[in-house]
Amino acid sequence: MTSAALRAPALLLRAVAYEFRKRIQFRAGFFVREVLNGTVEPLVMLFVYTALYGSAAAIAGPGAGPGAGPGAGPGAGSEVGSDPGSDPGAAAVALGGWTYPEIIQYVAGLVVVRKLIFHSRALDLATEIFEGRVTKYLVMPFRFFVLHQGRFLQFTLMQVVVAGLVWLIGYAVAPDHWLVPVSAAATLQAGTLVLMGSYCCFLIFFTLNAMAFWLDVVWSLLVMAWFVIGFTGGALVPVSQMPAAFYGVLSFGFPYWMITAPIELLMGRLGTEDFLFGAALVAVQLVALEVLRRWVWRRGLARYVGAGM
Amino acid sequence: MLEARGVRKVFRTFERVPGLRGILKNFVAREHVDIAALDGVDLRVERGESVGLIGANGAGKTTLVKILAGIVPASSGEARLLGRDSFDLRDAEKRRLALVMGQKSQLWWDLPPIDSFRLLKEIYGVSDADFAERLARFASMLDVEDRLKIQLRQLSLGQRMKMEIIGAFLHSPEVVFLDEPTIGLDLISRETIRRFLVGLSRQRSVTFVLTSHDLEDIEETCRRIVVLDQGAVAFDGGLTDLSQRVTGKRAVEVHVHPNARIDEESLVAELSLHGAELAGRSAGALTVIVSAERLAELVPRLFSLLEVKDLSVERQPLERLIREIYRRGIKAAEGGER
Ligand SMILES: Nc1ncnc2c1ncn2[C@@H]1O[C@H](COP(=O)(O)OP(=O)(O)OP(=O)(O)O)[C@@H](O)[C@H]1O
Ligand SMILES: [Mg+2]
Repeated sequence: MTSAALRAPALLLRAVAYEFRKRIQFRAGFFVREVLNGTVEPLVMLFVYTALYGSAAAIAGPGAGPGAGPGAGPGAGSEVGSDPGSDPGAAAVALGGWTYPEIIQYVAGLVVVRKLIFHSRALDLATEIFEGRVTKYLVMPFRFFVLHQGRFLQFTLMQVVVAGLVWLIGYAVAPDHWLVPVSAAATLQAGTLVLMGSYCCFLIFFTLNAMAFWLDVVWSLLVMAWFVIGFTGGALVPVSQMPAAFYGVLSFGFPYWMITAPIELLMGRLGTEDFLFGAALVAVQLVALEVLRRWVWRRGLARYVGAGM
Repeated sequence: MLEARGVRKVFRTFERVPGLRGILKNFVAREHVDIAALDGVDLRVERGESVGLIGANGAGKTTLVKILAGIVPASSGEARLLGRDSFDLRDAEKRRLALVMGQKSQLWWDLPPIDSFRLLKEIYGVSDADFAERLARFASMLDVEDRLKIQLRQLSLGQRMKMEIIGAFLHSPEVVFLDEPTIGLDLISRETIRRFLVGLSRQRSVTFVLTSHDLEDIEETCRRIVVLDQGAVAFDGGLTDLSQRVTGKRAVEVHVHPNARIDEESLVAELSLHGAELAGRSAGALTVIVSAERLAELVPRLFSLLEVKDLSVERQPLERLIREIYRRGIKAAEGGER
């Protein structure tokens, strides 16, 4: 009994080591994939937001117009941008409760947070099912899922390092605009939420991959799921900037607590109470997703044909 | 040990109509075809038995192995392994089970075998001492000691197969399923693998279920033969039963000029006087089956009947009987023997 209990973690570690080795095999590819990946969207957001706040400021009046120096903006805004030349001068304008400098910080936070979120490319379960590679695990005395948990763990460990690296690079390049966490506690809370959400993503992607027992093509499902999760979580627009009705609904979903909320925690816009509420909410969803995953997996196995044998 | 009772397996496949209209049609109303891969198989294998599962392509051998090993569920009927429903095995039973598939790797493709073995050691909870001892012994028996650290994908087919077999036996399983473990291997590798299997089954009472299209594999490693034909058991019995039916028979191959005119009817009549029969005929050759005792009287007669260019005599291999069983079922095959 106890030896079995001890073996599970040992096995998990083995799985982690195995996954790690597999991933760093292609070093150049690794850098491109892990570090550069996911920088395009934030850049696009940056341009769009700059234009948006710029024109909003123009409409609001000349007082908030370009060239307004530090401290020169009229009272409506909060902090003010530090780079008068390139700043559209919209610091004073708040759209949906967000000022321009805050949005910039949000985008910076997004770049880092996205590194930590498990994405579907890290699972190739659907192909394993199609090609019958699952067969070998089915006769082994262990839960196949452990291997995938190992993959999640390895992904997370590695991505924490990558995210740290990205944060440092960003800080070195633009220290004034970059998101600097308000406290260590906030960082910890934000990290916890992101990782819990990331595990939810992992469960969802696992479940969708398991749809390969029924469907020929699952990648479109995965792409769609990722888009929905990203959008409802705030990967394009902070959820709290969306219309109130949306915000009201979406703030109950784990995606919000995985993207928008952690960044707001880091910025100090949310506090410990929010964190506790969110963590409880996400925990419930995590359990529900795990139940769903098990159910789908079991139903799927009954349809497995063990192709290619 | 393992048991199948009335096992049926139906695969449902969807027909894909080709072409543009086909795509539309597939979308609107997919037509499915049900293929009965197994149609009521009964089988009981006791501890320590070694069973050779043979049958033509598509007979359902692999499907039966998959069901018995608990990889896929049966559509109906019951499959049991080590006292449990095959599709509901617990870790305790899985630890006593191994599967080797000639077509599909059980090891990790992108790892060297030694790393895969360590992973398996962890999965099956093999002690360090047992692991080291078994690995060394198996690797030397199969002659692959110098290949353990090379990535699996870089090994030759035969080397890979040997690694698969080592991997399957590291945890000292009690029941082993081998689905075409010698497919595509050269004579020497096949020989080595057979010897390995025979050695293990003698030392410990391992239960084997082996499928192969190479009858020599079966003859050398299995005492019992099960012939599957179109999803049903066509023969189940001892190897000796089967081979007694064919020993004492000789196959005489007579080469003649391709353009030689032969009156087949009178030839057959003539042959039957010597208890022989014409078993096959091609442009330049005839195959005649005769009992060993009457060979001496038949051969000179053949020279007078035909313009013989060359002639060879062989023991009739099991293969011919099996082929007949595939073709016509056991009863008819035996009928043809007389
Ligand atoms: N996944 C599947 N979907 C549909 N039909 C299948 C599937 N797997 C097997 N079949 C069908 O079931 C039948 C039995 O197949 P099986 O693989 O068991 O044959 P086999 O005896 O192992 O043949 P071989 O000697 O070629 O390996 C075949 O007609 C095959 O087409
Ligand atoms: Mg087969």
